[in-house]
Amino acid sequence: MLTAAIFVPIIASVGFAILPRGRTAGPGAERRVQVLATVISALPLVLVAASWLGFRGTGAFEQVEAVDWIPTLGIGYRVGVDGLSLPLAAMTAVVFVVAIAFPVDLRGRPVPYFALMLFLEGISIGLFLALDLFLFFVFWDVSLVAMYFLIGAWGHGDAQRSALKFFLYTFAGSLPLLLAILGLYLVTEPRTFDMAQIIRQQPLPAGSPYAILVFIGFFIGFAIKTPLVPVHTWLPPAHVDAPGPASAILAGVLLKMGTYGFVRILMAMMPDTWAQLSLPIAILAVVAIVYGALVALAQTNLKRAIAYTSVNHMGYVILGLAVAGAAVTGQEAARAIALTGATVEMVAHGLITGGLFLVSGAILARGGTYEMDEYGGLLTRARSLTGLTAVLAFASLGLPGLAGFVAEIQVFVGTLAIYPVLAGVGLLGIVITAALFLRMLQKLFLGSLPERWRSFPDLTRVETAGLGLLVFLVVLIGVAPAWLLGVVDSFAGPFVGRP
Amino acid sequence: MNALLPLVVPALGAVLVVVLRAHARAVAGVAVLALVVTIGVGAWVATTEPTFAWQWSRLIELRLAVEGFGRVMIVLVPLVATPIVAYAAVTEDEGRVRLLGLMLAFVAAMLLLVSASDFVTLLVAWELVGALSWALIGHGWRDPDNPRAAAAAFLTTRLGDLGLYLAAGTTFAASGSFAFEAVGGTDGTARGIIAAGVLLAAAAKSAQVPFSPWLFAAMAGPTPVSALLHSATLVAAGAFLLIRLSPVLEPVGWFLPAVAVVGLVTALAGGIVATVQTHAKRALAASTSAQYGLMFAAVGAGFPAAAAAQLVAHAAFKSLLFLGAGVAIHAGGTGRLGGLRLGRALPRIALLSWIGALALAAVPPLGAAWSKEQILAGAADASAWFGAAVLAAGFLSALYAARYQLLAYGRAEGPGADGPQGLHAPGRVATGSMAVLATVTVGLSLLWLPGAAALVEEVAGPLPPAGPPGETAAALLLVAVAFWLAFLLRRRSHLLTLGLAPAAQDAAGDWLGLPAATGALVVRPSLRLSRLLRLLDERVVDAGVRRTAALGETVSRLFSRRLERMIDGAVGLVARGWLSTAAASRIADDAGVDATVEAIGQGVGLAGHQSRRLQTGLSHEYFVVMAVGLAAVVAILATAR
Repeated sequence: MLTAAIFVPIIASVGFAILPRGRTAGPGAERRVQVLATVISALPLVLVAASWLGFRGTGAFEQVEAVDWIPTLGIGYRVGVDGLSLPLAAMTAVVFVVAIAFPVDLRGRPVPYFALMLFLEGISIGLFLALDLFLFFVFWDVSLVAMYFLIGAWGHGDAQRSALKFFLYTFAGSLPLLLAILGLYLVTEPRTFDMAQIIRQQPLPAGSPYAILVFIGFFIGFAIKTPLVPVHTWLPPAHVDAPGPASAILAGVLLKMGTYGFVRILMAMMPDTWAQLSLPIAILAVVAIVYGALVALAQTNLKRAIAYTSVNHMGYVILGLAVAGAAVTGQEAARAIALTGATVEMVAHGLITGGLFLVSGAILARGGTYEMDEYGGLLTRARSLTGLTAVLAFASLGLPGLAGFVAEIQVFVGTLAIYPVLAGVGLLGIVITAALFLRMLQKLFLGSLPERWRSFPDLTRVETAGLGLLVFLVVLIGVAPAWLLGVVDSFAGPFVGRP
Repeated sequence: MNALLPLVVPALGAVLVVVLRAHARAVAGVAVLALVVTIGVGAWVATTEPTFAWQWSRLIELRLAVEGFGRVMIVLVPLVATPIVAYAAVTEDEGRVRLLGLMLAFVAAMLLLVSASDFVTLLVAWELVGALSWALIGHGWRDPDNPRAAAAAFLTTRLGDLGLYLAAGTTFAASGSFAFEAVGGTDGTARGIIAAGVLLAAAAKSAQVPFSPWLFAAMAGPTPVSALLHSATLVAAGAFLLIRLSPVLEPVGWFLPAVAVVGLVTALAGGIVATVQTHAKRALAASTSAQYGLMFAAVGAGFPAAAAAQLVAHAAFKSLLFLGAGVAIHAGGTGRLGGLRLGRALPRIALLSWIGALALAAVPPLGAAWSKEQILAGAADASAWFGAAVLAAGFLSALYAARYQLLAYGRAEGPGADGPQGLHAPGRVATGSMAVLATVTVGLSLLWLPGAAALVEEVAGPLPPAGPPGETAAALLLVAVAFWLAFLLRRRSHLLTLGLAPAAQDAAGDWLGLPAATGALVVRPSLRLSRLLRLLDERVVDAGVRRTAALGETVSRLFSRRLERMIDGAVGLVARGWLSTAAASRIADDAGVDATVEAIGQGVGLAGHQSRRLQTGLSHEYFVVMAVGLAAVVAILATAR
């Protein structure tokens, strides 16, 4: 079932690529292709939902599907879920359905666009479900290629350059990641890429320079993708020039690959080294929180501002992870709550920021610019757009009753128990993000409507439905998160060694 | 589940209001009806004291309990909100549905706040109340100044919310639970942090110094919104929290004195600001800070019950005064106190407003006078200086109450003594709303009856012992002096200006320069820092990346040029080597060697060509190379095994 969730969209994308030209030309063809792609993209969501229903929360990997691939090297095709990967895979499937259904300027090339989107969907779900380091790395790298083409071919502004910067920068992160994977592989006994086995073996105890080198390799690789300050500067141009749905995928899904890697690989396979370095990592995270928020506050470009809030939010995730992995005995509850919070933040950020980037795409399609000062008073014309954006903005600034709060309160509560001073500094971030989102709402939607936007159209039905789905989930997680927290806790509890 | 009922009713009302938006009369009816039902439900849960728990995860449980002073608040909030919403329904035309819906949602959030019995629930309600107040204050969103003011109000209170995050996290770290009861089991340091967090949150919400100016910004909202926020809701949340938690936080040595100092400073400073203010709503706003300051002082003196009584009395008379101010502004077309004096024009409204002003001035037999007696007795019980400061604050209250009333609803004298012409007279509903609040204000006189004190003690804890009779006499004398002074100033036509230079009066009236100070010390430096960091990010951090990229390009260009030469050289060498070998051993199988040489030569040449193509900048080719490299590494590893 999990395998089907990965390969149905990948196979479909191949099918798209070899689709006869004649069928995709003519009036209404773009629309037909989009509907077809949306239907296909929903299949993984159904499959992941079914997997969720069958999930038992044992703390081990469940629903594992494995075949040998290159047995002499210990490489296998292994996929499965636990309380960490299942919510991320589900979130990925949701964000992809909405992004694929969302209207976008196709530049007359609908088929390759939807083929790439479907391909990327399968790859992304596969990355979160992969239980083999080699498979993980393959998905990791292939995702970069797909995103490179999406930005380069369907982006705007200086799209080629931004796409190249994105590709080279994150690719530069892939290299140390690859070396680290190989470094870790070489010390496994028997040699294997099987994640479950490596986690059981714990092959690389802390202390040796070799362990530090491998750790740094992983850390750089994941930190660039996350992205952590100071290796975040590929993010703003990539977002600004990417088409709205691709931005939503980039922020909602691709960034999570980095944070997921931190937990799944670095913390699980090298916990001692992580514990030793947890304080510097936590400091780095707090820097990202405050720095990301402050730089976002100074932006005048809507998309750049949202991009920097991603830096801020990923800071919360890393802070939660640093706390969860800290070697403080007797605070298992606090570490578990921080890990749960960090995981929920990944899901929440995917839904919220994914939604915000779709909104910015919708605004660009109508107004032709991201400069917030150009707008104003749009509430007069676009009530649905204003309402949905307001909910997403408030969710992003951590308002209770919405998903972001459920994540952030847990991260902060956990941090207060382990690193109280850092928690205090990090808390300032939530005031700054509040300031920037209120300012954003004010500039776009409130005040008087400039003459040129007299006929600014509101959201279409498809846009409303897509954003509505994201907002619904954001509210659901914010009000009644038990169904999600229970699943995450089945992973977080055992992970920190809580009985 | 019953504990949820008081929130569910207004929340459903809000939904209904939006659903029925096309029917103007139904909207108003539903809104008021929902609140009336909420009063009944509130009264019912106040007697049954239900609890409710909502599990989020193994570690987080949201808990509601209608208990203690919350039992009073659960009735008081809808009771005060009902006439205000009725007033809003008839006076606010623009965006009426949104306004009424938001007000109902706001009441629901406030009722969640007063029934919270753990820190997470409290934080949820606390921030929801803040966010809804943002929407209410920014109601007139077409004027960009209003949303800006709303943002200022929300951000100030959110800064205080951090205190609750701190308190919640510390409680959990120390006890493994978020419940209020758990605070009692925490050790000294943890409890100190919790106390600090609670004080920060309460001071920000209740507009105490140094957070007070946000209440002025909040005046950007329509008048009924101000009446709602200032009476039993938003601003009341801070004092409510202190009343609720001071018993468990009392053991922290510095806590009560700190609360008392914050309260007294605000009561005195707010009193001065209210006395010199020339704008009706701002004068009332400053008085709100000052009155909550007195409640803080009561908590600081160790008698939260006195603060509770004052909170209830203030809720009634302050909303009454605000509605009166709304009528005056609507009728007179200005909020400036110099241009009103509507006593002759609106005698009935003037009379109702007088009731509110007398309560604000603490004139017996009104209930507000009783609660202020209690605060004074509590303060004097703690120390004589404390008592004297409360007396001074009481004098200021009487002075600004009298001044406000005389300027807004006094009788105009001299030419044009009939007041402004072409008045917008208030309708029946508006007058009726004020009458309801005036009735509540007067009804609270029952507090003077014997037996009432016991009732207050039952819900809110012990009251202070009665002070010496001289204390009460001094307080009453000061009120009388204040009224005499106000009338005297009016006779000399100094009541508005108080004989101050306009510049000095404006400066003092704008919270004694506090907003300018926070602007210079907090807001502008933060914005400057954010712009600086943006420049840093673009010019330094990213420049580092770009320079690295450029360096890499240069290196690779150099390297590739040399590499090409090297490869060409190597190809030549290998080829020549093989050729010479072949030539040297002609006996050997010519064809075989030649073929090998040719193959290798071609292969290496191809490699050289390929490595030149690396610089094509086509990224997918990089990827292919990468994949091939990966395969090679794996192959090497495999053979190494």
